[in-house]
Amino acid sequence: MPRARVSRRVFLGTVGAAAALGALPGVGRAQGKEVRLGYILPVTGPLAFEAQLSLNGLQLAVDEINGVGGVKALGGAKLTLLPGDTQQKVELGNSEAARLIDQGVCALIGPFSSLVAYSVRQVTEKNKTPFMLLAAVADNLTEGGLRYVFRVQPNGKSMATLTMNNMFEMARAASAPVKRVAMMHEDGNFGTTMGNHVEAFAGKLGYALVQRIPYSLKSPDFTAELSKVKAAKPDLLVISGYYGDSKIIAETAAKLRIGVNALVGLANAAYSNPKFIADNRELTDNLFDGNYWHNPQSPRARAVFAAYEKRFGSTLTSHGVQAYTVIYVLKDALERAASADRDKLRDALARTDLADHILPQDAIKFDDTGENVNATPALLQVQNGKAVVVGPARFAEAKPVFPVPKWHG
Amino acid sequence: MFSLDLLLQAVVSGVLLGGVYGLVASGLSLIFGVLRIINFAHGAVMMLAMYATYWLFALLHVDPYLSIVVTGPAFFLLGMLIQRVVIEPNRFAAEHNQLLLTLGLALFLENLALVLWQGDFRTVRPAYANASFTLGEALVEVPRLVACAGAVVMALALFGFLRLTDVGKAIRALAEEPEGAMLMGIDVGRIRAVAFGIGAGCVAVAGALVTPFFYVAPDVGESFNIMAFVVVVLGGMGNFVGALLGGFIVGLAESLGATALPGSLKQLVVFALFVLVLLFRPAGLFGGGRGR
Repeated sequence: MPRARVSRRVFLGTVGAAAALGALPGVGRAQGKEVRLGYILPVTGPLAFEAQLSLNGLQLAVDEINGVGGVKALGGAKLTLLPGDTQQKVELGNSEAARLIDQGVCALIGPFSSLVAYSVRQVTEKNKTPFMLLAAVADNLTEGGLRYVFRVQPNGKSMATLTMNNMFEMARAASAPVKRVAMMHEDGNFGTTMGNHVEAFAGKLGYALVQRIPYSLKSPDFTAELSKVKAAKPDLLVISGYYGDSKIIAETAAKLRIGVNALVGLANAAYSNPKFIADNRELTDNLFDGNYWHNPQSPRARAVFAAYEKRFGSTLTSHGVQAYTVIYVLKDALERAASADRDKLRDALARTDLADHILPQDAIKFDDTGENVNATPALLQVQNGKAVVVGPARFAEAKPVFPVPKWHG
Repeated sequence: MFSLDLLLQAVVSGVLLGGVYGLVASGLSLIFGVLRIINFAHGAVMMLAMYATYWLFALLHVDPYLSIVVTGPAFFLLGMLIQRVVIEPNRFAAEHNQLLLTLGLALFLENLALVLWQGDFRTVRPAYANASFTLGEALVEVPRLVACAGAVVMALALFGFLRLTDVGKAIRALAEEPEGAMLMGIDVGRIRAVAFGIGAGCVAVAGALVTPFFYVAPDVGESFNIMAFVVVVLGGMGNFVGALLGGFIVGLAESLGATALPGSLKQLVVFALFVLVLLFRPAGLFGGGRGR
């Protein structure tokens, strides 16, 4: 349908141009009073729910900052969020990013999909606009000598290797060392990246990857796959997946009495998700997950959670925590740059050293590629209907239950 | 890696899932047989039925299986309405336009669900959701067994309906010889609507049957829709019994593929089967359908 595509492009272009024109006088008037930040998120489409969680986090941080006098170094300028919808589509990501840059945002935040991010970073690089990655985990997003891409959260590699590390230390402490690992992951970019790291890390940590099963997200049944896992007698079953597939896998594993010491999510969209836990109490009990999280020891984190709960009537999730943090990283850089100029902001971001945050890590600092050098996933376990941090030890709020008796049935 | 236990498990899982594929595909096949359109909105209708099941369970505590009494007829009527309002006016449009029409309808329904109920995943967990037993060394999950049995019963009932009742005979007549049927005084417009309604009713029943072991989300229909297309091609477009048998073949191919091959190759097995059948037996394994 070439004709339909052209007409949509024309349409988008027209809308973008019109919006940009409409916004121009606003830029002039608002200078010194407002700092525009743009987000590009899949706010419609299959990831709309997750995108909304991020959006809530962004909004909460922005309103907090504006409520206590905005960006002080800019005369109390207020932060304004400008919306962009990617629908998980590369071409929409690019056009929305270009539109927002035209509208004068000094930084872009988003866009969930690594595929979209990979393409958008060319747009932000060309326009010298800082691009704060959100929920996009592919390792290669910061590669290629880019200057404007920054990522606060752990990338795929640190997510996978640090989670395996955390599991290992915990297992050793419980005198039930891990020797055999099975991995199931969705066969898209996210799952495959995680699978590759778990496979590559086997030699370093000294475990055997006895089964590695990529699967299609849309598959309605995993009994055959899990029977194979069971037959391979692993100590751990590691799962990188989204919500529905992860649910069915955990359920089937329980019914098969899969016989592992633990079911461990790796950046899993379900296993530490409060809604999933609330909907599946007995199933989720003692599930592990290595994931983005907050620091439960931080009093500030507790305050943010309370504020979020009050405003949105639900529990702040890791998507929200990441989004919230990104706004504060930007705010910190804006204060130090004392300017909303994109280049000055970029330089200030590169010099970030932010200790006051709610993540389970030391100060937020970026290396030359824009990766947060101290980024760490937390190791979580569901206990009494709640995901609690059980590792790394200095952030832990509870003792792990390991090995988990119920998987042996 | 290919022990007898694994093989048995694969057969059991494949058969259980195959029944559901068969029922979803039966509706699709019937719609194709009578209306000569490929209904891309089939999965979306299933999704709506799953939401209906969910809400009946969540708000009124209606058991998912019991809710079929309500959702089945309701979706039959909804199907007739969709046919009357959306499909029928475009009856004489070019085939690719009708195809795009049902695709558009699917996108509309999915996005409607997204607006109404967000992308949020929902689960229905009745008391028996976890019930299971072992057959030899193979795990049999009770909800999946019920779904398969229910699907087969429903498909057989439908088969009987098509064979024995006047409306059923009219449907078959229309599938076989549209002009002849019209000349014989069959109310073609009404029968077309009834056929679409039955197709929607079938997929609604399938939706209710899978809800206890699945999840509900706006794009959930896709999981079954794609497979249903494969099944329909396999069984022969418009061939009703072929659809049910094709369901079992696809279910088995999928689970045996998962057992024998590494990773996501199981989908490859199914789609390879799809391409092979299209290449060598374009009329399907059981012959091109004429409402049989």
